[in-house]
Amino acid sequence: MHTLRRPLRFAAQIGLLAVAAILLALATPAAAEQKKLSFLTWNISDQADLFKEWIAEFKKRHPDVDVEWLDKKGPELPAFYQTQVIAGTPPDIINTQGALWLEYAAGGGLVDLTPYLDKDPDVRKRFNADYLAQWKYKGRNYMLPFYISKTLLFYNKTMFKEAAISGPPQSFDELLADAKKMSKGEKTGFITLNFDWLYWPLFRMNGVDLLTPDLRKAAFDTPKGVQVLDALAKATNDGSINKIAWTGRWVEPNGAFASGNVGMLLAHSPAFFFIRGQAPWVNADTLGVAQAPGGWATPNSHGLGISKGSKHPELAWEFLKMVTSEDWTSKLSERRKVLTGNIASDKKLLDQLGKDDPLAAAVLQTQVEDTNKLTGNWPLANDARVKEAFYPEIQNAVLGRKPAAQALKDAEAKVDRVLGQ
Amino acid sequence: MASALDVAPASRAARAPRAGFRRRREILLVWVFLLPSLAVFLLYRLLPLAWNAMLSFQQFSIFAPPSWIGLDHYREMADDPVFWTSLVNTLWFMASAPVGIVLALAISLMVNTGIRGRDVYRTIVFLSYPLMTVAVGIIWRWMYDEKVGLFNFILRSLGLIDKPIPFLQSFELALPSVLLANVWQILGFYMIILLAGLQNIPQNLYEAAAIDGASRWRQFTRITLPLLRPSLFLAFVIGIMTSFTSFDLVYVMTQGGPSHRSEILMTYIYKAAFELSRIDYAAALTVVQFVLLVTLTWLGNRLAGGDAGAVRTG
Repeated sequence: MHTLRRPLRFAAQIGLLAVAAILLALATPAAAEQKKLSFLTWNISDQADLFKEWIAEFKKRHPDVDVEWLDKKGPELPAFYQTQVIAGTPPDIINTQGALWLEYAAGGGLVDLTPYLDKDPDVRKRFNADYLAQWKYKGRNYMLPFYISKTLLFYNKTMFKEAAISGPPQSFDELLADAKKMSKGEKTGFITLNFDWLYWPLFRMNGVDLLTPDLRKAAFDTPKGVQVLDALAKATNDGSINKIAWTGRWVEPNGAFASGNVGMLLAHSPAFFFIRGQAPWVNADTLGVAQAPGGWATPNSHGLGISKGSKHPELAWEFLKMVTSEDWTSKLSERRKVLTGNIASDKKLLDQLGKDDPLAAAVLQTQVEDTNKLTGNWPLANDARVKEAFYPEIQNAVLGRKPAAQALKDAEAKVDRVLGQ
Repeated sequence: MASALDVAPASRAARAPRAGFRRRREILLVWVFLLPSLAVFLLYRLLPLAWNAMLSFQQFSIFAPPSWIGLDHYREMADDPVFWTSLVNTLWFMASAPVGIVLALAISLMVNTGIRGRDVYRTIVFLSYPLMTVAVGIIWRWMYDEKVGLFNFILRSLGLIDKPIPFLQSFELALPSVLLANVWQILGFYMIILLAGLQNIPQNLYEAAAIDGASRWRQFTRITLPLLRPSLFLAFVIGIMTSFTSFDLVYVMTQGGPSHRSEILMTYIYKAAFELSRIDYAAALTVVQFVLLVTLTWLGNRLAGGDAGAVRTG
């Protein structure tokens, strides 16, 4: 009897204590009138010191505001953001990469920044107009550039020399011919990143469009489209194009190029720092950089926007204004060796790198050239679904499961279905 | 004597309410201690499950209120080739469980004998299991590599192939390649389950059978297998469950590709929810997976005689 009474009493006491603690917490007045901003970044925790400086500076300007910073790894961010939105507590400021913002903007989840930019024309003038326009949906701007990138062509000068190739290719046919010359044994001629439409310049340089101008129908199933895909499939089959181009994501294709066994890589500028970190052979004498033939490139930048659910959008805008100013973008550029889309600080970085690190300067220089020739950046609210409808059919063709014509026909039906939904 | 008889019913009557009271207190205490676990189970298992089922009948966007669309997602699923591919691939994953169990049984029988160094063999076989699945995926991905992979190196060195095989880029080989890695990883776990079962079989049964002249094969089929049945079915049920929840290995090795050839339901659910932002459709896929999993687990348990995992002591 006693042995039972004691634990029961103990459990009851614990229960009472828990209830008392909850009541106390509920009764405590909220921390006065202190406002709070939350700021979510995507896979950039290495800049923690900089973000702490941002927060300290903002706190100096707005003593009544606390800023909380959170960073999430690549695939975690969308899941995290979605759950926060559903819970009614979205981060006030969000950083997204690629086309993810489009879905949020089209769903009404992001604050339209156009009136803010109209009110502060100096803010608009800070940025490279072509990059700023990347975050326009139905004519409205939803994000500001955080750090920018687009695809370029990296090439292994040693392999070029061995194959007696004088310089980077100027056309699609030349690209494939050069790739073939370099493929031998374990060596392959070309590889591309394939996520977020980063391979699309290969089609665009041949005049193939994904969609009709009104974005309502597929437009790629043309004789030229079939010809391009067929050429890519043949080149993949004969080893000119490394198969990892169509199956890997980031580490695998960049790693393959870093191994020194691949002649050319179509990738965006962050790939350079990854490759250089892995490949001791990389220097200005061995690595060349150029625009892809025709100058076409797919942007894959990071932007900063404000969640519609933010309780303090005005303050969030003040925060965005501050962190995209020349002072702060210069610090980000200098520490992370990235371009930010802020014209003044990008120029400063390129000038500095020109002296300290000419190869990195050459890579980043490509990012501010031909910015009027961006492709693979259609303002589609369901971009991810179109991608998912299209790309597996491309894989079917390039990896030899279907003839190019059949693959494009099937892809067209799938893409049209998604567009029609 | 008479007085004692008179007193006894009164005493029993007095003890009865006390025993009832004690019983009630015991029950109350059990519930008090169970309550935190049940609350967690309710909060993190049953409610999400119910919400998920509800979501599968709704059109849901994170930015807009949900609307009821009935069976639309299920109709879409019926016409969705990726769903069917991933379902079939999941069933292949499931079918790989018996292969792993048979291999594990063979290994268990070997390391259950008196061979020298049996503890070392057990450790070696078991070592694959505690490895992080992501690490296993990365290791196997490199082993399968077309240019620098171990398998291609061996096959070429032995003169068995002229051209390297792109295991993970191949439409035919991607799924079997992932399955092989999966079987390799879980083999050690199956072995431990079966070894525990084998060691619970009383030796005197074998001795008696040997005296009666039963061959080794007959001993195996008439003693070992029947008495090992609960362990075998436990391994089978766990195999089914892991095949339905395998995610990391597929995601790391092939990301479900090429062209969904190694997609399984779990990776497709993830992609639908977090890459395509179709949480509602992912919820419908999850319901289908849940129903399949429950059905197969129930069937497995029924086939085990309703006591999968029970340890028989003879």
